[in-house]
Amino acid sequence: MAIENSLLKNPRVLLLIAGLIISLIFIYPHPTDDGIDTNLKYGLELEGGSWLQLRMQGAIIELDADPSQIIQSEYSTYLDDRDLKITRVKSDSIRFITTKDVTRPQIEELNYGTASLLKEETTTLVAISTTKERVIQTYLQNHLATEVKILRTEDGAAYEIRTNTSKTQVEQVLAPTGGNLLSYVEGVSSETRDDTKQILDAKLNGMGLKDIPIRTIGDDYILIDLAGVDIATALRIAATPGKFEIRIQTEGNETNKTAHVLYGDQITSVGIPQQYEGAWGVSFRLKDEGAVALRDAAIRYDATTEPQHHHLIMYLDNNEIFSGPLAAGLAQNIQNIPVKDLKAQTGIGEEGGQKAKELQVHLRAGALPVNVEVIGSGQVPATLGAQFKEQLGAAGIITLVAVALIVYRRYRHREIIMPMLITTFSEVVMILGFAAAIKWQLDLPSLVAIIAVIGTGIDHLIIITDEVLHKERGELPTERIFKARIKKAFAIIFAAAATTIAAMIPLGYMGFGALRGFAIVTIVGILIGIFIARPAYGAIIKHIIV
Amino acid sequence: MDRIDDTIDAYFNKFTIKQSIIIPLMVVVISLLILTATTLTLGTPVKLGMEFVGGSAIIIDTPESPKELQEAFSDYPLHSEPREHGNRKLLQFESMSQEKQNELTNFAVKEYGSENVEMRQVGEVFGKSQQIKAVQAVVIAFLLMAAVVLILFRKIIPAVTVIFAAFADIIFAMAMMNIFGLTLTFGTFAAILMLIGYAVDTNLLLTSRVLKRKGDPMGQIKNAMKTGLTMTSTTLAALLVLFLISTISYLAVSSFTRIDIVRDIAVVLIFGLLADMMNTWMFNTGILRKYIIMPRGGR
Repeated sequence: MAIENSLLKNPRVLLLIAGLIISLIFIYPHPTDDGIDTNLKYGLELEGGSWLQLRMQGAIIELDADPSQIIQSEYSTYLDDRDLKITRVKSDSIRFITTKDVTRPQIEELNYGTASLLKEETTTLVAISTTKERVIQTYLQNHLATEVKILRTEDGAAYEIRTNTSKTQVEQVLAPTGGNLLSYVEGVSSETRDDTKQILDAKLNGMGLKDIPIRTIGDDYILIDLAGVDIATALRIAATPGKFEIRIQTEGNETNKTAHVLYGDQITSVGIPQQYEGAWGVSFRLKDEGAVALRDAAIRYDATTEPQHHHLIMYLDNNEIFSGPLAAGLAQNIQNIPVKDLKAQTGIGEEGGQKAKELQVHLRAGALPVNVEVIGSGQVPATLGAQFKEQLGAAGIITLVAVALIVYRRYRHREIIMPMLITTFSEVVMILGFAAAIKWQLDLPSLVAIIAVIGTGIDHLIIITDEVLHKERGELPTERIFKARIKKAFAIIFAAAATTIAAMIPLGYMGFGALRGFAIVTIVGILIGIFIARPAYGAIIKHIIV
Repeated sequence: MDRIDDTIDAYFNKFTIKQSIIIPLMVVVISLLILTATTLTLGTPVKLGMEFVGGSAIIIDTPESPKELQEAFSDYPLHSEPREHGNRKLLQFESMSQEKQNELTNFAVKEYGSENVEMRQVGEVFGKSQQIKAVQAVVIAFLLMAAVVLILFRKIIPAVTVIFAAFADIIFAMAMMNIFGLTLTFGTFAAILMLIGYAVDTNLLLTSRVLKRKGDPMGQIKNAMKTGLTMTSTTLAALLVLFLISTISYLAVSSFTRIDIVRDIAVVLIFGLLADMMNTWMFNTGILRKYIIMPRGGR
């Protein structure tokens, strides 16, 4: 017993035992009704489900263009007035004179900014309050038929085009304005990426699919894992927007009595959350039909005269997401003409801002801010995944047995083989413990890596064993020589470990889908091996032979 | 135990130093020729699989024959004839438009039931973008490995020999991929990277023993070889188990199935390790004897 005790006091052995105990706590194998369950998490390939890999399409451009030239060319075409003349350009407004008879809504139709008109005898002086960036943004938006976002205004303005647009397309659109494309990069900004992710999150949650991991890879890719969902459904979720509807209260403030006003297809654009006189709100724009429908409903149910009692209520997939009255001014306007530009006010302070953000997502009806392209997808049925797991489990056990037979043939001493197998087995347990601790999802490549680690782990134990068992003049080593040899053996296995880790780093860093798991498990396995398991093996074998 | 020693002695009596250097070099030349021929015909040293060119693969658990499946999927661009692995049939498709792809997915799921369909799809543009990344990863991995080896030995001839041996292992494994019709998939690609780090292990053992241990160098080489062969045989055993389980086990156990990514990793590593035995115990050993041991006055 004394011998056993001294081994148990060895710090290296204690470290291994501690590592094993901690790992087992993290893995937490516990019996359930149908067998033994653990805390280990498995990837989709092993659990069954589907995955989607999406690329956000878009481009980030920097450009310089003269806003007055844009306004000139845009309005002279639009108003069919070749003599249209720009009279003044300031940082916050542009003025021009036209001989045509124009109205304010007509000028604002192009969306360059709010207009004020000064009519003179034969001409009209038009002032549009706008900025250079707004002009360029609107111009791109009108001509590329997509949303364009201003990313920054200082140090060379940058714009994000939110659909697949080639460099040539941008250059063609810019040509008539004499503008200069300074840079073009395919992709989207990180805020847009986060917005997209958030909307996908909201959508999946709205469908009752909680805790769906959505990962972003770089700025351009999104990876969604949908456990237990088949690929046809997954594609449908990602591709189709939710059903958005606006209804109106028909009888004085009773929420459950409402009538349909319009669906989400009537919304043409949604602004970003902004503060209007202290209160947060989101602006959105309706199609002509939608504006008429809203006016008809408002008049019919007296919302124009008693807005407080006839709230407009918005629903996404039949869930109420917003309820509020028509603003007094707006109610009056609607009485006269159909109004296309609306604002939904969400309140003041941080809470109002947060609500405005959510509402913006909902108003888009779950439509994503940028176009996405499915660049990869797949599914593994749950039964097949279970088969994979079983099969690799069997492979792991058979591998251990095969390796045991080979080392037995070589050394023929149970005293050496048992510690070897126990050490190797401990390495596997500790890798699994680590995986459970960081909630790593084990996928097929990860499991293969574990089996590969069994192979390399045994290799290193063989190096240690042969180094210390090496007989000089037929004698086994003394304690002093033993220490020197263990050192040499570890120099070799540290070197071997270093090269393998070096080779796995690019794979772990660059990703390549599921291969990151392979790289990480290999690296972690090697580290656990060289720092915990193999030193302990050295201590055990020293104990046996010295 | 002594039988191994005898075998090793017999081995060293059989080959001269010159032979043990030239034979591996010839294998390297043949491997390079195979890779060149493939590059000339396909444009890449190894044939690229779906992950790197785009396309899709659907594996259906169905009693229908490959012929019937070919008929059923005739609307879609089949890449090759459906293959049969037990009850599971593999259909591979060229890349197609997103609409067509969605249609195909929906068709397969509806027709054969979601629970019987395994599928994966990679977009063409994305797949091709991975090619560059893959080359970068291999080059970086190799350079990092080489740096570690150079730092370890700090002597040009032994270090370069070890690095060259690893290089030879990798190109042999790649050449064999071409001979046996394996394509570059995520599995084979991961295995090639693994090989970069792993193939140098026995070389490190050998070179360290010869350079850092005192005593008769020939004895050191023979001892190292004994250790190294045990190492390689345990690893080969592990890989062989993986290969059998992932490839043909379904013939013996009906509930088992093919797992291609596992087979890919196992096969490439097996070829790499076979090459590694030759490159370590012939090439590296030969160089060490010729340039390190002989000038030092060893036998």
